[in-house]
Amino acid sequence: MLLILDVLTTAAILFVTSIGLLAIFGVLKIINFAHGAWITIGAYCAVVAAKLGLNPWAAAPLAFVVGAALGGLAELFIIRPLYRRPLDAILATWGLGIVIGQLITLGFGRDVQFTPNLLPGAVQLLGVDYSAYRLVALGAALVIGAAFAFTIEGTRLGLSARAVIMNEALARGLGIDTARVRFVTFMIGAGLASLAGVLLTPLASVDPNMGVGWLIGAFMLVMVSNASFLALAAACLVFGAAQVLISAFVSPIFGSIAIAVLAAVTLRISPKGFSRA
Amino acid sequence: MPEDASAIGLSGSAERGRPRLSRAAPFVVAALAAAALWAAPLVLDAFAVNVLTRSMIYATLAVTVDLLWGFTGILTFGQAAFFGVGAYATAMALSYLGATPEWMAVALALAVVAPAALGLAVGWLSFYHRSTALYASVISLVLPIVVTQLIYSGGEWTGSSSGLVGFEVLPLELEGFFRLSAFALVAATLAAWVFVRSDAGRALVAVRDNDARCAYLGLSPKRLQIALTAALAGVAGLAGFIFANASSVVAPENAGFLFGTELVIWVALGGRGTLLGPVLGTVAIDYLAANLSGDLPFLWQLLLGATFVAVIILLPGGLAEIARRVWSALPIGRSAGFTPRLVARSSRPAADGAGAPLLTIEGLAKSYGSLTVLENIDLEVRAGELVSLVGPNGAGKTTLMRCLSDGTEPFKGAVSIGGVSTAGLTPNRIVALGVGRKFQVASVFESLTVADCLLLARASHDGLSPIGRAETIGLPQAALNVLRMTGLDRMLAEPARLLSHGQKQALELAMVVALEPRLILLDEPTAGLTKAERTTIGAALKALTGELGVAAVLVEHDLDFVREISSRIVVLHQGRLALDGTVEEVVGSELVRTIYSGAAHG
Repeated sequence: MLLILDVLTTAAILFVTSIGLLAIFGVLKIINFAHGAWITIGAYCAVVAAKLGLNPWAAAPLAFVVGAALGGLAELFIIRPLYRRPLDAILATWGLGIVIGQLITLGFGRDVQFTPNLLPGAVQLLGVDYSAYRLVALGAALVIGAAFAFTIEGTRLGLSARAVIMNEALARGLGIDTARVRFVTFMIGAGLASLAGVLLTPLASVDPNMGVGWLIGAFMLVMVSNASFLALAAACLVFGAAQVLISAFVSPIFGSIAIAVLAAVTLRISPKGFSRA
Repeated sequence: MPEDASAIGLSGSAERGRPRLSRAAPFVVAALAAAALWAAPLVLDAFAVNVLTRSMIYATLAVTVDLLWGFTGILTFGQAAFFGVGAYATAMALSYLGATPEWMAVALALAVVAPAALGLAVGWLSFYHRSTALYASVISLVLPIVVTQLIYSGGEWTGSSSGLVGFEVLPLELEGFFRLSAFALVAATLAAWVFVRSDAGRALVAVRDNDARCAYLGLSPKRLQIALTAALAGVAGLAGFIFANASSVVAPENAGFLFGTELVIWVALGGRGTLLGPVLGTVAIDYLAANLSGDLPFLWQLLLGATFVAVIILLPGGLAEIARRVWSALPIGRSAGFTPRLVARSSRPAADGAGAPLLTIEGLAKSYGSLTVLENIDLEVRAGELVSLVGPNGAGKTTLMRCLSDGTEPFKGAVSIGGVSTAGLTPNRIVALGVGRKFQVASVFESLTVADCLLLARASHDGLSPIGRAETIGLPQAALNVLRMTGLDRMLAEPARLLSHGQKQALELAMVVALEPRLILLDEPTAGLTKAERTTIGAALKALTGELGVAAVLVEHDLDFVREISSRIVVLHQGRLALDGTVEEVVGSELVRTIYSGAAHG
């Protein structure tokens, strides 16, 4: 029972941390290696919110706005010149991640920061005591997923984004301002990454380099999902389960590399990964 | 006036003398560098010697990263892992076996063989038919993470998170290790320099530019990439061996993903694809880092990161790009590259067994999901025939060409070339059966010269020298004719990206003809060409089939052109073979008239 809850909540956390990267990769065809830095930015928004004495939950919208605004700047000055050089974009965003990490270190120091727990305690669920916050994270993943699905399926931006994903040249020919779609998508993706950073604060330690570990997992999950949002959900469930089960029954060290290795093997066997299903 | 004349005379003699001079340049530079580095410990203080020893080991790694990424286009973070495996193999061997000369030799062998074997496995995983550049980068990113976690889980064996310290090492002093790593760096750089300037070095750039074209020239880009990965993993392991000895400490960070990204940053800042740029960049940055990071640790990282971003965006060629621009602005810097001469070679004897069909297609069908593109295609083509494939857009002509030239394409039915089934064969193996394919959109190597493109076209027959440059390229007369008729033979030193559309088409045709195929597949070779260019290509094709007995299958829209050169015409309509007959039969038929006037859809 505990394992099932662990699998579900782990998958939810993976989903929350990857969805921003997926949005950007899907539309811009660019891998944002500064994704980890945006997660870190979000977590430090929670630190700042706590210092200002705000309600811990207020950090979530704050992080989304800050992340999206900074994302907009990054898109204009760093991503835009590199549209045609996707491998270089990986490097430039990685460099940006270094810069952000060092700026945060200069501002807050390199030590671990503590934030108030968004929801402490445990609840009785199906016969076991379970961390209340992990259940909240599961709910948050569902809400974010639903909002994301609504944006894609139900709004004009989503329609334009889908057009750009399918055939960018044609979309431009039809009068869609693809540069604007890319810009807004990058802002949303960056905002979602920062939001994930806030949601991670009760689960992970907050330090200037916290994002890197999450980046690799998110990157691998997005690679196997091939820009499909349902495939991402499926990949999070399957690989999250693998991570939990291998950690529990084999060794936590193997559990920690389970996602990377399994995703690499999956891609080797089926280059489209989970999106085919 | 007399001054002018003498200037011309001078430049002429300089040009004649230059090839020999430039061939000797790497050795001269290497000898000077080796001498300077040998003497360097005499004037440097202990701190500088210590730091530079490490910097030069890292620079050796940077050379391997540059070969993979700068030249071959494989963005890799994995060299750190191979380095770490080499360092740990050394440290573990020396810790548990001892440091006698015999065990030292064992440690050295392990430090090279273990990473090379791992590199072979990683290469096999990363490079396969239709693999993408991004996938190789993904694997190179996973590798250091996996290796690091294995080191953590190694317990006492690997020292887990604290690493291994205090093992016995080579009996060298500080200066000795400095000279050892200097020697390794100079040797690695020299070998890489000679290699990238050789004919085989062109193949690296060709794979980066256009690996599909490589495969359709009968080369195996994947095998080259795998071999390169394994060999350079061995070199990285060797660097790890020296590192473990020089520092007598190994730690998980040495194999880590972050170190892998640092290597890429150094190479990018120094200037990818220039070898000397990454070497100097790595030594300079690592040395500066050692001096500055003590005083202003975060600011140093910040500056480095910001510079890196700026260089990637604004100056993709790195700092070497600036040096190159300054150099080429100087009068002595503007030298023409080495260009081989073209010579005619006797063509292979015409295909034997002229009676049997060269190409046999039986019951070929292809569908994408529920959409059927080709159905029930049966066709035989004999030596000396020029079969034109006509039909409206969407009839399946290009799809058919793809099925003929790539046996891994999923389709039903059977295709055989000279009696050999192509089922499951990758394009390079089908080319080996004697097939040449020209694409609809000219597919050449954009950053190579015309001469180098032709050189690679001959590589599957004549091989490529890994150390030098061939003085001549032997081409069959038919290929020479194409070059001569289009004037390309006077543009051998021109980079292919500067050619006009028609010239690129002609170059690709010459490359395909240079393969001396028995069967040549041409997808709209005259699309977008002028009338004169079209006539030229038509004449070349007629000569190939008529005089040399090559079989040709041609996809074409221009019925006048088809009528002039074909010996047979096949009409594809809505995925089926609608007509197969002589020129008169087909051109005069009712069906062709209705298809082309669009009435068939009515």
